[in-house]
Amino acid sequence: MQTLIEYIVERISSENILHGKKLKNNLKKFDEAYFHSAAIFLKKYESLLQDENKTIDYAIDCYLQMLADVNYESVQFVRTGEYSSKSFDEVNRRVYENPDVMQYYMHGLLLSQFLWPHHYNILLFFRKTIGANRHIRNYLEIGGGHGLYISEAISIIGENAKFDLVDISQSSIDIAGKMIGNDHVSFILSDVYDYNPALNYDFITMGEVLEHVEDPVKLLKKLYTLLSDDGKLFITTPTNAPAIDHIHLFRNAGEIREVIAAAGFEIENESCIYSEDMPAELAEKYKVSMMYAGVLIKRNEQK
Amino acid sequence: MERDEVLKQVNEIFIDVLDKEDIVLTDVTTAADIEEWDSLAHIHLVVAIERKFKIRFGSKEIQSWDNVGEMIDCIYSKVK
Repeated sequence: MQTLIEYIVERISSENILHGKKLKNNLKKFDEAYFHSAAIFLKKYESLLQDENKTIDYAIDCYLQMLADVNYESVQFVRTGEYSSKSFDEVNRRVYENPDVMQYYMHGLLLSQFLWPHHYNILLFFRKTIGANRHIRNYLEIGGGHGLYISEAISIIGENAKFDLVDISQSSIDIAGKMIGNDHVSFILSDVYDYNPALNYDFITMGEVLEHVEDPVKLLKKLYTLLSDDGKLFITTPTNAPAIDHIHLFRNAGEIREVIAAAGFEIENESCIYSEDMPAELAEKYKVSMMYAGVLIKRNEQK
Repeated sequence: MERDEVLKQVNEIFIDVLDKEDIVLTDVTTAADIEEWDSLAHIHLVVAIERKFKIRFGSKEIQSWDNVGEMIDCIYSKVK
């Protein structure tokens, strides 16, 4: 019997042969654990869609629309070597304040979490990191979007810890709330720069936000103030990843590490996963996107 | 430039970008016929074609071609 993930890949392939090829090849390489995780995630997602009187076919259409944007941004990137958007104001006008765009973009991104292997593999790295830090008592997530990471954290750490999620977008909070599906999380609608809680957090997660801001060092410095002295910060951000709302271009992991160091952090652990399955030298030649994940701690002399 | 010449030059671009010497394109060739022609390769093919023919494709055009023939027609309309 065809699984939901298989149906999704088939439908996308019928509309987009080029992308379908890649997805079908990806599926062949995934193990049983992936299919199990994907099934759980997609069941939650389908339920969210049904609440909105929508189906998975709607999500697939959104994904295809998002893909069309990514493809065009990618062509621009190969042409110029730069992202097409340069400022937050610009992406705010094009994307965040445009409900039609936000609608398909968010649903498209949700599906990409399990359709794109590098997203899934970074999720595995996150699970392993949380697993090694079960003592967490105060957990904060910035820009939780799909709710996937905070859900994983809750399932591993347990509900005795405090879980807060800060996001600048009410739409993101609404989706995250439905995907998380329990009332253990406190959702805070706020710009992170305006968020000044009384406590410091043991663990902060910020996935794929740095590339959306004009000044990533400033953002990491803010997170520094929110983190306890012995706390850990988990970040992810991609290199060479053109998208309609990416502003800051990291060209390689070295540039990401420089930003991390400039903000006063050291790297305890990291993972770098290319979005394409090819030798590193070819990936560098074609400027293939790489997802970087870092587990960061405060640098010793700063504590 | 004649249409046949466009096809010949696009064939050379495919060979170069996909690093595959035995590619022989016809009007009915699709991505299903060439394993290496996936979404990443397509982006590089598009930009290589733009640079070779000194043309620019719009976002809808890049996604609109069902086969090589339609791609060639699009290029030819811009260069003739």
